[in-house]
Amino acid sequence: MTGRPARARGVIGLVEERCTVCMLCVRECPDWCIDIDSHVETLPPDEEHRRPRSVNVLDGFAIDYALCMYCGICVEVCPFDALHWAPTATYAESSAAALVHGRDRLGAWEADVVDQPPLDARAVVVDPGPRAR
Amino acid sequence: MTAAPGPGGTSLGLPTLGPPSRPAPLRLELAWGGRDLVVHLLEAGLACCTLEVMAAALGSTGARERGSLPVEPGAAVEVLVVSGTVTAALAPLLRDLRDRLGDVRVVSFGACAATGGPYWDSYAVLPGAGGLVDVDVVVPGCPPPPETLLEALALLGAQS
Amino acid sequence: MSAIVDAVRSALGEAVLGADAGFGSTTLDVAPARWADAARAARDAGATYFDMLAAYDLEADGFAVVAHLSRPDAADHLLLRTRVDRDAPQVPTLVEVYAGAAWHEREAHEMLGVSFAGHEPLAPLLLDPSAPATPLRKDVLLVARPSTPWPGDKDPADSTGRPRRRTPPPGVPADRPREGA
Repeated sequence: MTGRPARARGVIGLVEERCTVCMLCVRECPDWCIDIDSHVETLPPDEEHRRPRSVNVLDGFAIDYALCMYCGICVEVCPFDALHWAPTATYAESSAAALVHGRDRLGAWEADVVDQPPLDARAVVVDPGPRAR
Repeated sequence: MTAAPGPGGTSLGLPTLGPPSRPAPLRLELAWGGRDLVVHLLEAGLACCTLEVMAAALGSTGARERGSLPVEPGAAVEVLVVSGTVTAALAPLLRDLRDRLGDVRVVSFGACAATGGPYWDSYAVLPGAGGLVDVDVVVPGCPPPPETLLEALALLGAQS
Repeated sequence: MSAIVDAVRSALGEAVLGADAGFGSTTLDVAPARWADAARAARDAGATYFDMLAAYDLEADGFAVVAHLSRPDAADHLLLRTRVDRDAPQVPTLVEVYAGAAWHEREAHEMLGVSFAGHEPLAPLLLDPSAPATPLRKDVLLVARPSTPWPGDKDPADSTGRPRRRTPPPGVPADRPREGA
């Protein structure tokens, strides 16, 4: 890594286990650069669940970094904190098509996510309100 | 394209282009990953990404590069960096510039030069420089930080 | 306490239709027929710096034209505004008062179709000939997004693959039909 600031918007990492395929990031992206493929599976009852359950299963999660304008709306809107900024900025390729990165690479970039430093003592923090989690 | 004279005798037509001058590239001496590079670089600075390329070329990014010096006009350009939004109005100029440079590697810098970026849907914008000129390295970012230019040059070195 | 505002008021009298003092600067709404007179009064009271002129689409209410005039030292300034109907979007030109208004008027004409009487021809300034006419009018819609497949149309729970949601994609007006939707 290059010693860039911890909050620098370099690349977006994905914690796949947290993604519920709610599709909010896809729908809020102003550039339409996130593409998610998924399907629904029905899980049979087990000790914890007495009835069959439907779950969304992620098949593919891709971000087109040649389109991305690094606005961060996807990171902010994710209700399950599955997307994070990492300061890594050096990932140029030989073609724009090669800048579409899927779940494996997005997952690998989670390793580059750094702890955010504490806010400045004079920062004004706006309470976003209760979240229904 | 010039406008007819306006009232009061003022004629405020569009600027016309003079004959093209000889491109004067910047000479960059760089150290990257243990290798020394010398590059003659010309920037087609179209929009905001221009500032990041300038910061890289002028040595503002700190540790790696050892500075850049302008060379005489007419020196061979090795790398053309297209940084910023490729508008329909400027596309012919960009194409003409690239054709005049002959054998040159092209780096597209930033989302607009890659795909049109946030303006991919605009009638006035080309969806990236790649449809206009052959591009060897595409640098993502909006804008990419200056050190990514150095990475792009290193990638070019690795490609050849 | 603005000499420029006072000069425009005394020159136009009842042709000043309204005033707005938001954000510490004054906007005067004037009748379109007195548009050039208002600018001239402002200029003669010290607003010799023409900063900008722009038009914007008010849809059913027509178009607004706004100009920012200022003293060169910025100690006093004024936003001058007028409104014209959609079927006759024309105001007098300001080029006799400020020569620098010429490009701004050409841009407003090119982007929104507002014309400026006395400044003809309003030659095109910025747009490539292939661009749509008057593209900044709100009823001129970009075709790219409604005609491009939106990743947000996919929904994991809908086995038919057709979108259940009715919220439109970013950049597409709610009442605009989309291909494939």
